[in-house]
Amino acid sequence: MAKIVIDPITRIEGHLRIQAEVNDGRVTDAWSSSTMFRGIEKILQGRDPRDAWYFTQRFCGVCTTVHSIASIRAVENALDITVPYNAEMIRNLIIGIQVVQDHVIHFYHLHALDWVDITSGLKADPVKSAALAASLSDWPLNSPTYFKGVQEKLSTFVNKGRLGPFANAYWGHPAYKLPPEANLMATAHYLEALDWQREVIKIHAILGSKNPHPQTFVVGGMAIPIDPASQNALNAEKLAEIGELLKKARRFVEQVYIPDLLAVASYYKEWAGIGAGIGNYMTYGEYPREAGGKKLWLPPGIILNRDLSRVCPVDHRKVAEYVDNSWYEGDGKPLHPWEGSTEAHYTGPAPPYDMIDTNAKYSWVKSPRYEEKAMEVGPLAKILVAYASGHAPTRGAVDMVLKQLGVGPEALFSTLGRTAARGIETLLVARELPVWLGNLTASIGGGDYTAHNNERWDPADWPAEASGYGFHDAPRGALGHWIRIKEGKILNYQAVVPSTWNASPRDARGERGAYEAALVGTPIADPNKPLEILRTIHSFDPCLACAVH
Amino acid sequence: MKRASGDEKQIPGEEEFGSPFWEKRGVSRRDFMKFCTAMTAALSLPSSMIPRVAAALENDNRISIIWVEFQSCTGDTEALLRASSPTVAEIVLDVLSIDYSETIMAAAGHQAEEARARTIKERAGKYIAVVEGSIPTRDNGAYCCIGGRSALDLARELCNNALATIAVGTCASYGGIPAAAPNPSRAVGLSQAVPGATVINLPGCPVNTDNLVATIVHFLTFGRLPPVDGKGRPLFAYGKKIHDNCERRAHFDAGQYVEAWGDQAHRKGHCLYKMGCKGPATFHNCPIQKYNEKTAWPVGSGHGCAGCSEPAFWDTMSPFYRRLPNVPGFGIEATADKIGLGLVAAAAAGFGVHGALNALRKDREPGENTREEG
Amino acid sequence: MSSQCKFKRYIWELPVRWSHWVNAACIVILAVTGLFIASPASVGRAPSAFSMGWVRFVHFVAAYTFTVSVASRVVWSFLGNKYAAWREFFPLLTAKGREKTLAMLRYYLFMDKEVPETIGHNPLATTAYALLFFLYLLMIVTGFSLYATHAPQGILFTLFGWVQVVFSTQSIRLIHHLSMYAIFGFVVNHIYSAWLMDIKEHGAEVSSMFSGYRFTIHRKDD
Ligand code: HEM
Ligand code: HEM
Ligand code: NFV
Ligand code: SF4
Ligand code: SF4
Ligand code: F3S
Ligand SMILES: [Mg+2]
Repeated sequence: MAKIVIDPITRIEGHLRIQAEVNDGRVTDAWSSSTMFRGIEKILQGRDPRDAWYFTQRFCGVCTTVHSIASIRAVENALDITVPYNAEMIRNLIIGIQVVQDHVIHFYHLHALDWVDITSGLKADPVKSAALAASLSDWPLNSPTYFKGVQEKLSTFVNKGRLGPFANAYWGHPAYKLPPEANLMATAHYLEALDWQREVIKIHAILGSKNPHPQTFVVGGMAIPIDPASQNALNAEKLAEIGELLKKARRFVEQVYIPDLLAVASYYKEWAGIGAGIGNYMTYGEYPREAGGKKLWLPPGIILNRDLSRVCPVDHRKVAEYVDNSWYEGDGKPLHPWEGSTEAHYTGPAPPYDMIDTNAKYSWVKSPRYEEKAMEVGPLAKILVAYASGHAPTRGAVDMVLKQLGVGPEALFSTLGRTAARGIETLLVARELPVWLGNLTASIGGGDYTAHNNERWDPADWPAEASGYGFHDAPRGALGHWIRIKEGKILNYQAVVPSTWNASPRDARGERGAYEAALVGTPIADPNKPLEILRTIHSFDPCLACAVH
Repeated sequence: MKRASGDEKQIPGEEEFGSPFWEKRGVSRRDFMKFCTAMTAALSLPSSMIPRVAAALENDNRISIIWVEFQSCTGDTEALLRASSPTVAEIVLDVLSIDYSETIMAAAGHQAEEARARTIKERAGKYIAVVEGSIPTRDNGAYCCIGGRSALDLARELCNNALATIAVGTCASYGGIPAAAPNPSRAVGLSQAVPGATVINLPGCPVNTDNLVATIVHFLTFGRLPPVDGKGRPLFAYGKKIHDNCERRAHFDAGQYVEAWGDQAHRKGHCLYKMGCKGPATFHNCPIQKYNEKTAWPVGSGHGCAGCSEPAFWDTMSPFYRRLPNVPGFGIEATADKIGLGLVAAAAAGFGVHGALNALRKDREPGENTREEG
Repeated sequence: MSSQCKFKRYIWELPVRWSHWVNAACIVILAVTGLFIASPASVGRAPSAFSMGWVRFVHFVAAYTFTVSVASRVVWSFLGNKYAAWREFFPLLTAKGREKTLAMLRYYLFMDKEVPETIGHNPLATTAYALLFFLYLLMIVTGFSLYATHAPQGILFTLFGWVQVVFSTQSIRLIHHLSMYAIFGFVVNHIYSAWLMDIKEHGAEVSSMFSGYRFTIHRKDD
């Protein structure tokens, strides 16, 4: 038996450490810990609830919008504020393009190198790469000259002997299976995606003033005014610019991301049988279709034990967090977030250390459970629930992917399924974004310039006490913020974040979190180069700053 | 032929720098020139410096960067991914050698640590350290560990061997959000954690990537860090208040203010002073440099500045929708005016009672024994 | 006026009186304009209007005037007569001063029925003036350090910029704002006390600040 540690897990957000037991070439047990704590929930206490979004937004600079959305929704819920239709549509555009950009970055820059051996691309024949690419899509850049250029660039870089961020990786590992021409193609698109993401996320700058960390959120709506007759407001010119960027976003997703995803997946089909994990999936639903945000485009729901025939409803009161294996004070009782607390109490090893004793508390991540059950959240959960609920666009996209790969829906319960579901979500959202832009444009065209509901802006108009929650289905999954307000101040604030669910340590009863469960059974060719662990962990797109906050 | 002032080496004239180096990398001469011009402007250097900036960038000896993240949200790394001139792809392949960055590097675990250790050893005194995120000091730094070592320990090793350290973002510069009251992990900024290190601060939440690139270009061009203000920030980017460069300033002076989100004044782009804008208290070049390739910036888009480039802004600039901070020790609803007026009213009431009592009392006339001498 | 106060004496020299009334006028102007700066009304009709600009301009002109006036009073406390001298403001430093202050305090607290005579400053009042001068200084330092930020390369910033590093700009704004109310608190007390002493002491308190003369029980050379 070998005990291995991977710390830092790289190509993720934040500080994640995996300790695992490997027996006969397989992971037999695993522990997921985060080793960084800030305590923003505590910092929020006593502050103005209207400021909360600006603080929570700094939970994470990768999913830069999501905690502002969840936060303002929580405050709006507590104070019973109805958000105007235009503001909902603007928020949808911001949320949607975040999903698209974040997922593409994840696929190419955080996950691809688990499947793609860049160095093998040097041996590729650019003509073959072009032929391969042409067989997948008619993306105009995919020419032999283009791939040759990329290859030359790469070889100049490699020949200088300084590999920078690509140094010391698992290149040449036996688990890499792509032929050289596919590796070259993916490498070229790795670089292209870097430029593309920078462009399309300008939608955040147009609607939100900047990215990362947009700054036009505000409780009750949006702080970007609407006025077709003003240069200082959302006007026709800006809407048109967004429209262009949305086209660009959609083209890349349809013609580069999805074809690459399918091509890579087709070489790694055995990963459709690895990394399933818990088998319970939860999503809060997303994309309001009307003012007030009750009707959602993607449905909320829970799937238990991989049973796609039944979708259970979600009730926020059934969420509770354990801290039995987390470095916080607590008496063993799971707490609903309104009652939750975040009192740090570190009992782990004093640094520097080699091992964290996993028989004691071992992480800064709490263990959220839904009715005592561990849940997996994320694109896979969203897609499964939408699929099982009969959401037509989702059914179409999922069936297309399954057909192309020649596998059945059960293949989705896996590492590969997670990665594919992320692509499917991206595709769905990239196609729906223009619809929301159209709705917004039509509403403005109809003379409605309202983007903010002022009725309860002034704390003098608030009840003495209020509590609320805000849901948002973020790129990494189901996100909830819970707030209690007393006399205009935050009395308690708790966030239960997608990566909190997925990265959670064991709960009081010893049930594993999603990462831990998914790792059990993972094959390991070489315990010194645990590439396979990275594949499954990366398939979740971990974000530990989110998870702990 | 142009010559830089002083004893500088000969600078190639414009006609000479067709930049084969960059052309080989698919960057046209025009784009390269545009970039050098933009950088020179961002650095507030005279345009006569353009050739010199260009010469520095043509150097093939890519400088080694070790980018570490401590108590960060990765917002500053994300900001770097939005860099446009040079683009992040160019930065990674051509301009710098990013030898360690957890967010983008291929290696993980021990292999990642090895890559960092090797760079520190082989390039001691020659690499630039970039630090993102604050450093916790509570419980010996156990609140942020990487590979079993505390951020504090890692930062000391990293910065003490570096040629220079750039603290990116407000967290690394001054402690940022983890250090907001009550600072649960006792987080501090880099220069406080590693007092002897040569640090330049690039606060902002996150850093404006243009300022980061410009700082590095300055370094490559002149071999030293740009001049800084009293808070360790380069003057080229933090030398003026938002308020003094703000496109809404005319409305401030005119007396035209947004009174509610979405009102006429808001739609017309009037001043956000009454919505709590902290532009008058914030040094940063947002109005000039803007974000995402000069697409927009917070005040331009309709929300007040939150003062994100100032030390302790989380505590001093909040509540964000009020102009003045809360008075320490008083509740959130007790504004400076309420407290001040209360004080004056109390004084007036006190003396009013005193006056009434005085009117009732009967004094003795001042006499010999109470006279004042002299 | 008491029949016993029959000797007219020159107490407040011209610079004392001038700086007193210049300060008082400046404070009124600074407070009015300052309150507008703190919560302006949207009075501008067009972007070319300059209402906040003018208000701030008036604030700064008054600020300079005030600063010069305060500085000249400080200088005069070394040049002027003994009633103007800086020692007057720290009565608590001498045994005799303490005794006089106590007597005045007893009168204020209704413990004594007889008001002690003061020819120059009322010692209780001068203690308050010392605090007030500290507030003046605070307003000047915080005011100029805020003002200086518009030109961080300028000489004013060289003089006052350190304040921005030691305290945050926001704390300085808050201190500047709150100290105004502290000055108001003083003024309420001060005008009341001037009036009180005027009737009780019968020494022409109030008019002395205009004319310079007070009436005393004893002749100067007694
Ligand atoms: C903004 C308003 C005012 C301020 C800040 C102020 C401040 C001062 C100060 C600092 C002194 C000490 C003078 C010196 O030694 O230089 C003083 C003295 C005096 N002030 Fe005022 N003053 C104000 C308004 C007034 C008004 C309205 C009156 C008349 C009703 C008045 C009557 C006097 C008198 C009689 C003295 C001399 C009393 C003594 O020192 O015992 N003051 N005042
Ligand atoms: C007794 C004297 C003074 C009073 C009562 C006074 C009062 C005020 C008040 C109430 C404000 C608004 C503060 C806020 O809410 O932000 C203000 C702002 C200001 N005052 Fe004064 N002030 C005085 C002296 C000065 C002096 C000597 C200066 C020096 C130049 C000065 C410069 C300023 C500046 C620059 C501001 C604008 C601050 C900002 O918003 O950034 N003040 N003053
Ligand atoms: N987990 C997580 Fe996030 C997301 N998506 C947030 O809620 O990444 Ni930073
Ligand atoms: S400064 Fe802001 S963007 Fe940077 S790490 Fe801190 S919170 Fe994130
Ligand atoms: S919007 Fe803010 S920075 Fe701009 S002029 Fe108004 S107060 Fe100043
Ligand atoms: S909040 Fe920050 S981004 Fe600029 S406008 Fe204000 S300094
Ligand atoms: Mg939480």
